[in-house]
Amino acid sequence: MSTNSKSSKTTASNKSKDGKAHKLSLKGSAKLVSEFFEYSINSILFQRGVYPAEDFMPVKKYGLNMLVTNDDQVKAYIRKIMSQLSKWMLGGKISKLVVVITSKETGENLERWQFDVQLLGKAATAAKSKIKTEKEIQEEIQSLFRQITASVTFLPMLDGRCSFNVLVYADGDAEVPMEWGDSDAKEIVDGEKVTLRSWGTSSHKVDTLVSYRLAE
Amino acid sequence: MATAAVHTPVKSHSNIFSSKHAGGRVPLTPSPRTRAVANHSPFTPPAPARRDPEWQAEKKKQGNASRGSLHDTFSSMSLSTTKRSTSPPPAAKASAATSASPPLRLDLGLSDWNLPGASKPTTLKKARSAKPTKSTVRINGDRFIPSRSATSPTAAMKANHTRPGSRSSTHDCANSSDDVFGPDNSNQSSGEECEDYTSRKSPKSKAYEASIAEAVGLNLGTRILAFKPAPPESSKPIDLRTQYNRPLKSTISAQTRRRILTAPERVLDAPGLLDDYYLNLLDWGSSNQVAIGLERNVYVWNAETGSVSCLLETTPDTYVSSVRWSQDGSYVSVGLGTGDVQIWDVEEGTKLRTMTGHDSRVGVMSWNKATLSTGSRSGNIFNHDVRIAEHKTAELLSHTSEVCGLEWRSDGAQLASGGNDNLVNIWDARQMTTPKFSKTNHKAAVKALAWCPWQNNLLASGGGTFDRQIHFWNTTTGARVNSVDAGSQVTSLRWSTHYREIVSCHGAPDNQLTVWSYPTLVKNVEIPAHETRVLHAALSPDGQILATAASDENLKFWKIFEKKAGAASSSSRTATSGKGMTKQMTIR
Repeated sequence: MSTNSKSSKTTASNKSKDGKAHKLSLKGSAKLVSEFFEYSINSILFQRGVYPAEDFMPVKKYGLNMLVTNDDQVKAYIRKIMSQLSKWMLGGKISKLVVVITSKETGENLERWQFDVQLLGKAATAAKSKIKTEKEIQEEIQSLFRQITASVTFLPMLDGRCSFNVLVYADGDAEVPMEWGDSDAKEIVDGEKVTLRSWGTSSHKVDTLVSYRLAE
Repeated sequence: MATAAVHTPVKSHSNIFSSKHAGGRVPLTPSPRTRAVANHSPFTPPAPARRDPEWQAEKKKQGNASRGSLHDTFSSMSLSTTKRSTSPPPAAKASAATSASPPLRLDLGLSDWNLPGASKPTTLKKARSAKPTKSTVRINGDRFIPSRSATSPTAAMKANHTRPGSRSSTHDCANSSDDVFGPDNSNQSSGEECEDYTSRKSPKSKAYEASIAEAVGLNLGTRILAFKPAPPESSKPIDLRTQYNRPLKSTISAQTRRRILTAPERVLDAPGLLDDYYLNLLDWGSSNQVAIGLERNVYVWNAETGSVSCLLETTPDTYVSSVRWSQDGSYVSVGLGTGDVQIWDVEEGTKLRTMTGHDSRVGVMSWNKATLSTGSRSGNIFNHDVRIAEHKTAELLSHTSEVCGLEWRSDGAQLASGGNDNLVNIWDARQMTTPKFSKTNHKAAVKALAWCPWQNNLLASGGGTFDRQIHFWNTTTGARVNSVDAGSQVTSLRWSTHYREIVSCHGAPDNQLTVWSYPTLVKNVEIPAHETRVLHAALSPDGQILATAASDENLKFWKIFEKKAGAASSSSRTATSGKGMTKQMTIR
């Protein structure tokens, strides 16, 4: 939590420095993206009932009431993931973040949330005549989170106890700490796929895709 | 000079080629391959040279050596065919799969073998030609048949299978020994075919490859990493269905949570109190007197003065099974083990009348003006008009087992009854032959019944040991509007008259009082009240104090609904009146 709040503060100060149409630095953008990941993981854990609702507390973010876990163990777990993730993000080593929800009984992958990160090149940035304001970025993120929240209406019920895993598609040359190991993609077999909204800063673009097993 | 001569035909041919492709059909005769090869030699009659400035400019831009022309041809051809061939994904997929581990090296090696004379791609077309080189390699050398076979699903699956197969097919193509294309095919045509397949593959731009790789879930440069430590266990199984049906935030706020005194205001001894769940031996009348039945006696404790008097003693063959104050607080009805019901004038200390009718003990009674309803062990409920000689006015026959809960609504329009048959019956005062609603939700005897003081049609009912539920009913519609698991046997329920709260009394294991907020059903406080189960509870007329009697033979008074300081005038009377008394006193 503490690391997170710090990072959000720095991005905020970055942004406020020169007004509305400020272009986020690459670093600031990476921070924004990793912060976004943290909230997405929390939202998914809450919305999909991986942990009980009373373990979460509302936090104002992106102009929404975001639910963030209040359970010390889960908090520590996510913090560990996030600390590494933000390092990778800053280095531009990550192309995807995936949250997989698996059934505890069968070990089956039930749901897969995939966030594709595109690092936009300098050229692309320059080509974009219009630079997104802070407000526009926030609105984009907001509408994505609204979609994630709304997705519970079409996603199948997750029966039984569930667990989750975080995967990362990292570049071959990325430094990999002990806790991270190679894995398969944990794709959903015969899954339905739904693409959600994209959002982006001037240096990153994030696409979101949820795949799930259709109920029999 | 030569450059121009060589170039010109190439350019024009490729143009022709592409336009023909665009037409849909590729003619076999002017094979681009042969042409290209021919063009390579300076002897080929050059096509009419294009002298237009445009072309010149382009040529300059290209600015490459003559050797490069072949390459360019390929690349441009391949590009043009790309437009035509719209469906290369399967092939590409296969290639992506094949190249999973050491693909780059393979290609490079092949290109050496393949086009010894091929020039380096021009700088201008670098992005383009990088791929075509590869594809060129594949044409003549290694890859194309496999990719074709890769269109069949099995081959696509077994990517590694493609390699050995490709070897031979490469040969076919290169040598034009035509097992594949049939003997009739000319050298050129087979070459053309080759070309065709090549060009299908070749178009892969970087982005395209990336997108394919992405689709397949493979990427050469990336690793999929998982955070290995197992996530913490969820503290309990979650059913989202229930989660969506309740507020996210629990509604205990400072405003609703008030301070409740958890110590008893006063404790009285109640020796000989029968430990029987089905009896109702405690009542607090509107005259501010508490009546309690202790074995064969009924005592009245005056809360105003603190004095105790023995109202009656029954004959030795029976015992007191229920007591109830009339609504005006001047009479007490006493149910007996024999089934008789007596009515006593408390002021005078005299018995007014005895009403017979029940053949078994009367465990519960309720007054509605001059009507007294009595419930017996047999399950019968009788209504008596206490003013007339023929007192029995109605028989309410529905329960099949002992009636232990009976409560008139304050306006007298409905009567609720609960029994050992686990039923909650709601009777309409105008039609007493059958219950208006008969609720079977409880799984144990229903003794605790209470009508809500601020909402006429709201009834609370609590079940026994095997049920432990408190249900809330809309008695107009018969709908269950709320429920809460109380965690233990519910022996009594009382609504607060000042707060939107209800207190429930419980049995083992905690023998507690629980104050709930309604309708949120948030537990405001839980008071461990007695050493044994709380049998009876009664609320003072001012609604502030709850009296509870338990089989530990204590009668305790709890100021759980204390009025706020501003409105405490009436409550102070009882407090001061009790001051002179000892904390512990004996009734008997």
